[in-house]
Amino acid sequence: MSEAAETGALEARRLDLAHGQQRVIEALDLRLPPGRVTAIVGPNGCGKSTLLAGLARLHAPGGGCVLLDGTDIQRLPARELARRLALLPQEAIAPEGLTVRDLIRFGRQPHQGFLRQWSRQDHLAVEAALAAADLLALAERPLEALSGGQRQRAWIAMTIAQQTPLLLLDEPTSALDLGHQLEVFELVRRLAGEGRTLAMVLHDLASACRYADQLVAMRDGRIVAEGAPHEVVTRELVGELYDIDCTLMHDPVTGTPLLTNLRRLS
Amino acid sequence: MSLFPVARDATAAKRAPASALPPPSGCWRLAWQWPGSGEASLLISRRSALANAGLLLALLVASGVYLALGSVHLAPRALVAALVGQGDALAQFMVIELRLPRLVAAWLTGAAFAVAGCLMQTLARNRLATPGIIGIDNGATAFAVASLVGLGVSLAPPAMALAGAATAAAITFGLTAGGGSRGYRFIVAGIGVGAVFGAITQLLLARVDMDTANAAYPWTVGTLNARPPGALLVLGVGLAVGVVMALQLSRALSLMRFSEAIAQGLGSRVARRRWQVLGVSVLLTGLAVAVAGPVGMVGLIGPEIARALSCRRGVPIIASMLAGALVMVLADLVGRVLLAPIELPVGIVTAVVGGPWLLWILLRPHRSLA
Repeated sequence: MSEAAETGALEARRLDLAHGQQRVIEALDLRLPPGRVTAIVGPNGCGKSTLLAGLARLHAPGGGCVLLDGTDIQRLPARELARRLALLPQEAIAPEGLTVRDLIRFGRQPHQGFLRQWSRQDHLAVEAALAAADLLALAERPLEALSGGQRQRAWIAMTIAQQTPLLLLDEPTSALDLGHQLEVFELVRRLAGEGRTLAMVLHDLASACRYADQLVAMRDGRIVAEGAPHEVVTRELVGELYDIDCTLMHDPVTGTPLLTNLRRLS
Repeated sequence: MSLFPVARDATAAKRAPASALPPPSGCWRLAWQWPGSGEASLLISRRSALANAGLLLALLVASGVYLALGSVHLAPRALVAALVGQGDALAQFMVIELRLPRLVAAWLTGAAFAVAGCLMQTLARNRLATPGIIGIDNGATAFAVASLVGLGVSLAPPAMALAGAATAAAITFGLTAGGGSRGYRFIVAGIGVGAVFGAITQLLLARVDMDTANAAYPWTVGTLNARPPGALLVLGVGLAVGVVMALQLSRALSLMRFSEAIAQGLGSRVARRRWQVLGVSVLLTGLAVAVAGPVGMVGLIGPEIARALSCRRGVPIIASMLAGALVMVLADLVGRVLLAPIELPVGIVTAVVGGPWLLWILLRPHRSLA
């Protein structure tokens, strides 16, 4: 691997993505700032999950390209891409009977081969991922026996064990209660603190403001606003995204934008 | 490597010296150095290794019993004598000429059906999706019968059965259009395709005279009695190739048990791997049907036993192979001995055992079918 070049800088240039015949995203430009957390927000069906899938090469683009450290991801071999970019999709299904450690070991697959099944690096990466996600005490538990938040952390730990500079998470906190959401967001912040680049699709604008460095707001397959949360979140933007009127305040503790007095615009 | 693990690497290296890299629990790790190109390592699950050893032992014992029992029962000593070419000439003839080829046919067909079943179940992420249930067996049978009853096609049964298996698989996949190799839609389409091919087989047999129909009868139930040696040889070669390919695919197979986006995110070329897995499954099914007819239940029971015994992390190819052979040997043994001198075709024995098994899978409290 050429080390100097791999910082996990991901960039979409005039990207077109489609679901079958239906164009979802057209000529989209986006750059994920290295070492930062980017949250992609927008109403249901705005194309944010499709965009994330496109960035991770789950969908081939109809036009344009996605560049990872300057290389078109379509031209990277599958396993090399998986060593440089990790993805946690929304619908994560694991086979029955795996323990937390078993699951995390699968994160090493792109680094392994038929005659390289378990190296010192694999061992260290799995232990480090267990520690990073605060799962050491649960390592031998079956996945089925975990709470929702713990299970989500185990999935994220699997992607951590991939040791990629770049991590893409699709709605990592949907279906989690407040405490469990917090577990996940704190983990995300820790990972960014270690120098990783993260991007996540989020439903909740408030958590996006609170935990992301950069906000990408989408509607109808286009980016309508992009930048630091306190700069881009305005009453007009909330109206444009969700057809909602609101009063915008600042969180007295964190200073991040806070929405209140929500009313539907008719 | 990348930027972050470096610091941890250094501290952890202090704790554990290089020689004492702990393998994951429940595994043996074999490692060696290639001159000039770093370390190679293999990881072997203790549980799977034990399961394979146990299944092999059981298979050997069952095979011994299979050779000893029949119209004339042989004592262990007489059996060994006959096998090494000594003692009673009749016993020698019985063991070497009659029972041994049939035993080999049971091994090979059982192994092939079970590996094919294991592959297809993994591909569809559903335990019901064995070639027998999704109609591939029936497709192979219909084509083989077509060649026997003289439809003017003169290809050998293995080629015909293979063509039938491929046709049935193509129709099933075609009906569920590409992405549909998952879930019940695929299985339901397969059951329909199987029913059509089953009807075609019956139709072919109904329009020929009694003698030809009788000759083709074994094809409709599945039997190991007096199978064509040519087809057996082809199956032997095909099984060797298929199992090696399946083993090479085993890492991709273990990722197929995850949702597709996960497998892709971990670097698996999912679409290409699916075609390869399907191809091996169809090959093994077609060649096995050419020898024994549709004994598809083995494809359900074999992998089920293998999974229960093996490590949960992987897809048990070798264990399926051994368990399938074991089931086939036992089923044919029961068929030969139970109502002797009347012989029950092995397909009927496995159906009698497999039917309730299938019901149990369908009716027991819900668990993930993967």
